[in-house]
Amino acid sequence: MSSHDEKNHQPPLDLSGWRALPVVLIVIGGFLTLLGALLSWKHNDLREFGFSWLMAFMFYYSIALGALFLVIVHHLTDAGWSVGIRRFCEHLASLLFPWLAILFLPVLILAKKIYSWLTLDPATNNLVAAKLPVFTCSGFIITSAIIFAIWWLLSSQLSRWSLNQDKTGSAECTRKLRFYSGFGIVAFALTLSASGVLWMKSLQYQWFSAMHGVYFFSSCAWVGLATVYVIAAILMRQGTLAAVLQKNYFYFIGVLMLGFTLLTAYTEFAQYFVVWNANVPEETFWYLIRENGNWWWLSLILIFGKCFVPFFILLPEKLKMNFKVIIPLCLWIWAMHAADLAFNIFPALHNDGYHLKWIWLPLGILMLMGGFLAKIFICKFNSNPPYPQRDPRLLEAMGVSQNVVRDLTLAKDGGVE
Amino acid sequence: MADSLNIEELKRLAPPAELRRAPVVEGKPSLGALTDKLSEFAEGKTPRWWWILFIPAAFAATVIFPTCLFYQVFTGVGVWGNNHPVMWGLDIVNFIWWVGVAHAGTLISALLFLTKQHWRTTIGRMAEAMTVFSVMMAGLYPAIHVGRAWFDWFMFPIPNSNGNWPQFKSPLMWDVFAVNTYLTVSTLFWFMGMIPDFAVFRDRATTRVRKTIFTALAMGWTGSARQWHNYEKAYVVLCGLCTLLVFTVSSIVGLDFCASQIAGWHATIFPLYFVIGAVFCGFGMMLVILVPLRKWCSLEKVITMSHMDKVAKLALVAGLIIDYIYLQEFFIAWYSGDTYERWVFGHRLFGHTYLYLGWTLIGINVCVTQLLWFKKIRSSLAALFIIGVLINIGMWSERFVIVVGSLYQEFLPANWGKYMPTIWDVGLYIGTLGAFFMLYLLFVKFLPMIAIAEVKGVMPEADPHHPLGGAQKGDHQ
Amino acid sequence: MSEKVYGLMAEFDSPAAILHAAEKVRDAGYRRWDAFTPFPIHGMDQVMKLGNSLVGWVALAGGAFMFLNVVGLIWFANAFDYPLIVGGKPMFSVPMTFVPAYIMLIMGGALGALIGMLGLNQLPRLHHPLLDKKRFELVSRDKFILLIGAQDEKFCATETKSFLESLGGTHVEIVEDVE
Repeated sequence: MSSHDEKNHQPPLDLSGWRALPVVLIVIGGFLTLLGALLSWKHNDLREFGFSWLMAFMFYYSIALGALFLVIVHHLTDAGWSVGIRRFCEHLASLLFPWLAILFLPVLILAKKIYSWLTLDPATNNLVAAKLPVFTCSGFIITSAIIFAIWWLLSSQLSRWSLNQDKTGSAECTRKLRFYSGFGIVAFALTLSASGVLWMKSLQYQWFSAMHGVYFFSSCAWVGLATVYVIAAILMRQGTLAAVLQKNYFYFIGVLMLGFTLLTAYTEFAQYFVVWNANVPEETFWYLIRENGNWWWLSLILIFGKCFVPFFILLPEKLKMNFKVIIPLCLWIWAMHAADLAFNIFPALHNDGYHLKWIWLPLGILMLMGGFLAKIFICKFNSNPPYPQRDPRLLEAMGVSQNVVRDLTLAKDGGVE
Repeated sequence: MADSLNIEELKRLAPPAELRRAPVVEGKPSLGALTDKLSEFAEGKTPRWWWILFIPAAFAATVIFPTCLFYQVFTGVGVWGNNHPVMWGLDIVNFIWWVGVAHAGTLISALLFLTKQHWRTTIGRMAEAMTVFSVMMAGLYPAIHVGRAWFDWFMFPIPNSNGNWPQFKSPLMWDVFAVNTYLTVSTLFWFMGMIPDFAVFRDRATTRVRKTIFTALAMGWTGSARQWHNYEKAYVVLCGLCTLLVFTVSSIVGLDFCASQIAGWHATIFPLYFVIGAVFCGFGMMLVILVPLRKWCSLEKVITMSHMDKVAKLALVAGLIIDYIYLQEFFIAWYSGDTYERWVFGHRLFGHTYLYLGWTLIGINVCVTQLLWFKKIRSSLAALFIIGVLINIGMWSERFVIVVGSLYQEFLPANWGKYMPTIWDVGLYIGTLGAFFMLYLLFVKFLPMIAIAEVKGVMPEADPHHPLGGAQKGDHQ
Repeated sequence: MSEKVYGLMAEFDSPAAILHAAEKVRDAGYRRWDAFTPFPIHGMDQVMKLGNSLVGWVALAGGAFMFLNVVGLIWFANAFDYPLIVGGKPMFSVPMTFVPAYIMLIMGGALGALIGMLGLNQLPRLHHPLLDKKRFELVSRDKFILLIGAQDEKFCATETKSFLESLGGTHVEIVEDVE
């Protein structure tokens, strides 16, 4: 790197050869979505469309949550290496509001077609009555609004003080960021679990599992890390983040991915095992449905594809830094996460197996949302400095050892320890 | 990248003084002085406080402990308060409690190594020792809880003349493997970490007895680059495996409960619940051990306030997760609409028999833990010690509430009863506490209580690219 | 009892000094040499071209061995030799087998790691020629010692000695091997 300041105005994220990709995605995805909406309206009263939209929304929602988690954890652990990847994580997180909130609107509009408990009468249904007053139409709207309000508060404040620090470099910003991360992690855990229950688990309102919140969190972090790996690799290649990314940081991201692969597998196994072993009808029906038709095959794909494949690829030490292997793996992780969401969501609609003739619909919506959100992300990234310019841990991210940084601070203040 | 920046640029980017990272060891000792400092306690004269603590601990371990143990083994489990419907009493409560204490040790040592937290080096060894000794205490309980301890070998897959085998369909059976593996692996991990330090003690030994013992323990360690190369790899592997163990062992203990259908036990989050509860309890114990020892062994510059702050923060994190899980449990009791679940969770707090323990749990694990948010509390050693003790009490009552609280009034009123521990329950618990602290004191006195080689390895002097490590000025990479 | 030369050792004061010396020893074409340090030195692996340690593979083998054995054992015990219906569960099933097998995998992996480490390092050993040297006791304290073995093709007691001294090594001494 020749001059440090020059870097600040340097080439932002452009996807070079893939520049047109978001627009292409929007066009193709938009067409498929529209077609799907029409066909679904004609054939099954928009239910297919609603479920597909919910799944695609949950997919990007979980990526944004994963990124938000990384930002919060960065501040809480006072990490050094992750300074370089923090800025674009902040951008990913701030997609939550308003953009993902806007994408949530169709779910809200179609809620009565998606969530069966909204149409059931609590007077005749014990399980719905037990969940009053939250699980009502107004309860659903209010809770969803609170959830997005919390995401707005967290993502905007974490982004705001981080950008502020670029200008001032003051320790005050770091303190603010830690403050928001401190209560933020509590709010994060509660809000994430609540949204998982309200939007996903309650599709089959008769079923309950205390592990679900942790499972959803761990999936979010997992898919978020895969996304971060890919974006960081692109930015490293373009030289945008070359100053603050070392090759071994990809090792760290890889280790975290390995850890969350295991944690996700752990939560799912625990959930399955406890239900399987106790054999209580109130719970087993959820898994029994998922043994029907092609859900059975999907469950097998998930066991191997979501756990064993990433685990064995991420296990060898050196392989974690090999882009040629890990970037395809990250794409695979996306596919597996989407499949897992489908496994959670669609059986509420098709409990005899997925109707493969509809598969283009969720894919189309995924493309539409992906293109749209990518456009916004690139726009956000390009209008701000690519990494935190005056972060107190910037030197560490540049590869200066902690001991040396400590001495530099002492030298700067001219003081002694 | 940074090598092309000049020193002024580096200074500009350096953090302001208040955000400077605390050094692992304060006072900039040289490598030699650090070695002296860290081996001082094991080589010096035994101080009086050590005897004052050791004698009662040894009394509990060698008199109370065997008395209660043998009386129970010779007479039967009837000497305890266990009776229908509460067949799992204090023996299981204490088993989980001890396993819990063990977990934080492994987590501090292994997980923080994997995440490259240099500060762990000064407390890692003490944490590992805590693990090893508390797993020993934990392992004892299930072995005698079975009632006929001389049939314990039935639990191992040994071909025998009866032609029977253990049946592996029960998590209780997995416990046998889990606890034994945990004991073996954590001991191996602890021992392997000590090999280079045994070599330090060997080379420093002044008496023939010490020389012989530590020569044997060091096994011929020379510290060659090839040895370190294999050693570091083995250490990473062991750390990875130990981290997995933390999650597995307590999960299996959790499965003992949730694989059943008892209301209050059957929740899918139970495996994780027990893992986090264990870790939380262990961080409490870590505070209890570290606060006095750092003072009495005059290790204030090695186990600094920054270390205490970090352990306290870890305790806070574990505490917050446990609070989240409480919330999740109560939420699911409400959400599921299950009458029995709702009844059990209501009775934990508003019942009649054990509601004091229920509120102790809430008061400590939910409320007192929140004090650790404040920097002022985290920098007061007295507060940390008290909170550490309270966390242990809180987690003990949590286990009591889980074990007894769900058993004493289950589905049918015919299965309702009460449970009260007897003096033999309490005596055995005191005995295990004594044995634990006796072993711990012996460890502190005779073995390298701080990982000497590891601490030296994270000093500025150990970095070949640091001026103190011999690099020329400005040779930063 | 005969004595023969085991090698030449030279002492250095700092990690950087021994790292630079090691680079030069390697560049001079020596093959049988080693560095003895109180803690692992960052970068020494690359200088000595040690590659990836085999310990990981030993651990993997130990873990896999245990895992497969326990799976076999559970099948044999619960499904073949002594089948018993418990809780209406199948005699042999994945959820039941996986956890105990996995926990023993950890046991096997840990034993493999320790045994692999000791085996590859040729430990435990009762004696090592270097342990006779008084100055070598400082290696576990704050000195860094470089040893060039007598079995090295380029080894020559006088030339190697002056070479080591030219690198900045102090207390260059001959290490004897007692047989």
